[in-house]
Amino acid sequence: MVTRIIQLVLSPVIALVVAVLFLGLSRKIVARIHRRYGPPIYQPIIDVIRLMTQHSISHGALFELGVVFALAGSLVTVLFIPLGGTNAPPGSYPLAHGLLCPLSSSGGLLVVIYLMLFSPISIALGAGASANPNASIGVSRKMLLALAYELPFLLVILAIMSHYGTISIAEIVSRQQDSAWGVFSVPLAAVAAFLILPAMVGIRPFDVVGAPQEIASGPLVEYGGRYLALLTVQSGVHLFIVIALFVDLFLGGGVNVVTFLLKMFAVFLAAELVSAVLPRVRIENALKFCWTWPTGLALAQMIITVVSR
Amino acid sequence: MDRSQLAKWLKNPAEMANKYSLHAVYFCTGCGIIEIPPVITTRWDAERFGIKAVATPRQGNLFMITGYVSLKTLKAIIRTYEQMPDPKYTVAFGSCPINGGMYWDSYNTIKHLDKYIPVDGWIAGCMPRPEAVFIGVTHLWTLIDKGKADGYIRYRKNYAAYRRNQEMLFGDLGWPPLHPSESPAEEASV
Repeated sequence: MVTRIIQLVLSPVIALVVAVLFLGLSRKIVARIHRRYGPPIYQPIIDVIRLMTQHSISHGALFELGVVFALAGSLVTVLFIPLGGTNAPPGSYPLAHGLLCPLSSSGGLLVVIYLMLFSPISIALGAGASANPNASIGVSRKMLLALAYELPFLLVILAIMSHYGTISIAEIVSRQQDSAWGVFSVPLAAVAAFLILPAMVGIRPFDVVGAPQEIASGPLVEYGGRYLALLTVQSGVHLFIVIALFVDLFLGGGVNVVTFLLKMFAVFLAAELVSAVLPRVRIENALKFCWTWPTGLALAQMIITVVSR
Repeated sequence: MDRSQLAKWLKNPAEMANKYSLHAVYFCTGCGIIEIPPVITTRWDAERFGIKAVATPRQGNLFMITGYVSLKTLKAIIRTYEQMPDPKYTVAFGSCPINGGMYWDSYNTIKHLDKYIPVDGWIAGCMPRPEAVFIGVTHLWTLIDKGKADGYIRYRKNYAAYRRNQEMLFGDLGWPPLHPSESPAEEASV
């Protein structure tokens, strides 16, 4: 019971700390690729402190609730995702500890699929309440992009679930630790998931939602002050969730939190390197891309999995 | 982070965060905006000082007016300034907002911007080099440290006077006063 409570507190704390760290690192990495010096890694913390102390303008109760729902939805999703650790008996791996996943016994992948849609819809709700035309365009783009990546994402999840024969992420992680990683046993699904990773996170080339130069940062256009601070943290936590899910499903999780975070950093770095050198696509091109290559790869993986069983 | 600044951070985190996280709303009024892309991109890299361009006034706290201000843009400038959340700092860039510059006898431009919105700092020159922008920013840091970058406080305190100046140009502005209840006596005398 005590361990469970500790885990319930520890998981979101790790997510928040790593999320803010990733936000800082992403700005630094992009700066170095541009051959700039870049901001300090703790710059997002300064930004969040500044935003929290600024006066903020509200457009009504729904406008504020959207922010709260988005952050709460993201933090709840973290509780369902294993953040390192193993279910194997003690002593089978060096430096291993018990599975860090407070709600591993309930729901699994199906709940994660539903909860991951919760924060985009909440932001859409809050941004819609501001009645700004730029926000409306941003929201419609966000929904279209969700439509674009949900199809390949669901096919990837289906392929994994039918390959391992379970919906529990904890079970999938321990099966990978026993035998081969998912990236070797379901390679096409792994490639498909990496291709839609920028779209799920909302970074380049799929940052059509927040495009500052086109639609004045989209759904966030009316958000300022402490609402923007919470939404900045939320975007970091969402990034954390997507990458953590990728590591859990394809890179075998981690026997402890440190190896898990190192694997997460590797995936994050790969995604950032791709995003730093690519321009932004248009929304219809994003839709076309997501429904051809990743969908095709995931479909092929599913057929292979079903036939080979 | 400079070790000696830690005490300042603990004493007044809000002010220090405001200092090192200047998110700028660039108002591209004139030719001055041509100097801003080099400032924020690879060559001079303003992001290492925490300065970032944002797309909407709700998210920013530094308002840069780059170049001459015509009557039509002044209206938009006032609206944008009033939409920004406090605390906010205004920097006028180039000689045109200071005294009209080369448009000193133009019928359609503003000669003194600080009659209409409060300005915290000026960067003189026609054009100022990107280095001058950085010198301006470090001066703004000093002003914030000393509590002299108080444009948004002055605007609230002397709102009636600013509003009167704005209405002298435009007649009816088309939107209600930002701080209606601050000085009812002066409001009545106008």
